[in-house]
Amino acid sequence: MELSCSSIYNHLLKIIRNNTIDLSECTFIHPWALILICLLLVKKHNNNDKEIILPKSSEALFYLRRARLHEILKKLSYNQSADFLEKIFVNEKDNLNIQEIIHCNFRDEFNARLERFGKIFMNFGLRENDARLVVALIGELGNNVYDHNLGNWPTDISGCFITAQNYPQKKCLEFVIGDPGIGFLGSLKANFPGLSDDISAIKHGLAGNTGRINEDRGNGLKFIQNWTLENFSGNILIHSGKGLVFLDKDKIEGKEAVEIVGTIVQIMLYYK
Amino acid sequence: MKKFGLILNSRPAGKEAVLRVKQIVNGTSDNILTLDFEGVDVLTPSYADELFNGIKNLYPEKKIEMSGYKGNLVVEDVLKKLGIIK
Repeated sequence: MELSCSSIYNHLLKIIRNNTIDLSECTFIHPWALILICLLLVKKHNNNDKEIILPKSSEALFYLRRARLHEILKKLSYNQSADFLEKIFVNEKDNLNIQEIIHCNFRDEFNARLERFGKIFMNFGLRENDARLVVALIGELGNNVYDHNLGNWPTDISGCFITAQNYPQKKCLEFVIGDPGIGFLGSLKANFPGLSDDISAIKHGLAGNTGRINEDRGNGLKFIQNWTLENFSGNILIHSGKGLVFLDKDKIEGKEAVEIVGTIVQIMLYYK
Repeated sequence: MKKFGLILNSRPAGKEAVLRVKQIVNGTSDNILTLDFEGVDVLTPSYADELFNGIKNLYPEKKIEMSGYKGNLVVEDVLKKLGIIK
């Protein structure tokens, strides 16, 4: 079972069984799927019978270890699986194109990590100005997470999960940020009570509208779109609540997906 | 501006910078304030928006100029798109 951006939605019913997340049949896990799994783990982490069953496939297991999923599992008290995964030996220098998952509970932690990203992206092969743009992109996405969820987190886990992967042959950098927050609809509804579904809310947010009443904001997502589409000929995928929206230079498409707590944003960038 | 950090990010940090700028600027009779971005790596739109509008509201009579941004694509692009420079 391969968990890519699109196929994970076909497999979710097999993966989620009550409070168990069963990855035993997974042979491939895409960074998007990894962050989606993190949000599922957050949703279930307060249940006593929670469990994650790790993949049987050694390749998938090595990827999860390389991505340091065990650190997230420890934070969320999935201790048995965390211990098992941690004991697997991987040489992290074998794949420098994977950026492990980082969970930043608070804004200060996020800002501190942000300083490292520029160097990591330059090591991936990006030019200095491109690396700066990507740092600004991630910074702005992170700002949205903390600005819109401050004091309003639906669960006891706050902050965002970030992972990134570089595809050197395609000269493509992908990063994914997920947060267990109130989502686009939860944020925008205060200012736009007529909004009733997640797809419309995502599109409304992308158009530069903000949920903060009487505050002149809303530029962040416009910058993110502009830089992604114009500077990197890239694309954006957003899942928030039950809405899934894909955006590139030619089109914006929305469809319904399984409901998640919070939001996941994936940005694909093609660099020179 | 590099004394405020090399990565200038987030609205709270921009607000805090405005308060600091107030301490630095208060009492001066100069009519031009120059924000020098030489050495700054990254400026995000949120920070720039808070900083520029915060200073403009504090000192509506002063002219605010930018320098040191040439060659840094991010800083220049953010200042341009927010209408702070042409």
